[in-house]
Amino acid sequence: MSSLRRPKRLARRHVWTAPLALAMLAATGLVAALLGTGTWRVMSWLTLSIPLAVVARHALMRR
Amino acid sequence: MKPLSPISLRRWSSVHRWSSLVCTVFLLLICVTGLPLVFSDEIDDWLYPRHYADVVPQVGPVDLDQIVAESQTRFPGERITSVFLDDREPQINVWLQPQPRSPARKPAPRHYLRFDARTGELLENVQPNGKRRWHVMNVMLSLHRDLFGGLPGELFMGAMGLLFAAAVVSGVVLYGPFTKHLAFGTVRTMRARRIKWLDIHNLMGISTIVWVLVVGMTGVVNELATPLVAIWLRGDVAQRLNQYKDAPAPAPTELASVQAALSTARRAAPGMRVTEITFPARGMGSPWHYVAWAKGNMPLKSRLFSPVLIDARTGKVTAVIEMPWYLRVLEVSRPLHYGDYGALPLKLIWAAFDVVTLIVLGSGIYLWVGRRRCVTNDRPRKQPKEVFDRKRA
Repeated sequence: MSSLRRPKRLARRHVWTAPLALAMLAATGLVAALLGTGTWRVMSWLTLSIPLAVVARHALMRR
Repeated sequence: MKPLSPISLRRWSSVHRWSSLVCTVFLLLICVTGLPLVFSDEIDDWLYPRHYADVVPQVGPVDLDQIVAESQTRFPGERITSVFLDDREPQINVWLQPQPRSPARKPAPRHYLRFDARTGELLENVQPNGKRRWHVMNVMLSLHRDLFGGLPGELFMGAMGLLFAAAVVSGVVLYGPFTKHLAFGTVRTMRARRIKWLDIHNLMGISTIVWVLVVGMTGVVNELATPLVAIWLRGDVAQRLNQYKDAPAPAPTELASVQAALSTARRAAPGMRVTEITFPARGMGSPWHYVAWAKGNMPLKSRLFSPVLIDARTGKVTAVIEMPWYLRVLEVSRPLHYGDYGALPLKLIWAAFDVVTLIVLGSGIYLWVGRRRCVTNDRPRKQPKEVFDRKRA
């Protein structure tokens, strides 16, 4: 974690890859629990937890 | 997508700044009060535990007519407004409204008699918290929903929700130019504290955007519930009741059997579950009908109600009303806003997102307050100076 600034601009798709993936996971989770119980619920809990885990990991990580 | 031009970048910045400035204080309040509200069912169960007899003799389905008659006997001066048939606990609640001594007086709050749905035994008379204005959860709800301001308060908070949406969307537009030199999730802790909080603000904001927008926008829709229901009652429902327009409303003694009305409603809405029957009344619903509220069984469908109108004199079905699209949107908005459709883990997830949103709001204020002391030598190159040099605003 030493590189604090990248000298070059990241390609646009790199900037948006992670946010888009997290957005799709969250959207899946929000809808899943509406569709059914059981597996649907577990899927909802898992997919919605990932953005939270990513936030926690990056925000709390010591460097 | 082309990179933003300096001018449009500046415009988006000012949209982000000004929409946030106006709504942030209210959003902080909404997030703080929303946290306990997510768990209101749990808090309610804990504050007011409900007990049931353990061993129950199988006596067959309870007769609603008996329960209603017993309620009326116990409170002869009051009017029965509805019968609630719980589908999660074995209870039937009969709601009663004390009649004001003169029409000018404000009626006393409603209360209900709780019956065991398996034996028909009267369990207790309940003054619900929902009617206690200064109960802690009601204060939370008022601060969250309308700032004690009734409908104007609801519309005001709805407008704040729309501004918040503008702040979120403009924030997403700005995310690209602000982070294009950084790997995702980079938090630059070695730099000025302001930079660290800018990175945290960006990371948390962009990672939670879907939840924030869904809960925010469904919140706005919920704020519109009062006008939407009024439109429906005056339009669709009034039209259905046109034929009754000149008929006198039935007297309490003329009412047909509630139990029969329930059976009729169940036949009229096959595959659905009737959870409430409201009695004929002016203002809400119809003065000439029982309204049986039937809902589906699946998680989503259990939020979608179909009212069955039953002539309160004859006990015959007048209509099964299909809800208009805008009330369907409202009905779907509720679980998506409350987070109460996926058991306790989903509520905990709701709480966690709420806390992250609080941090985004708080760091946003910090970034704005500290903008004059902005000592950033971290301007992305080829960017207009103004965007980062916020003191000009």
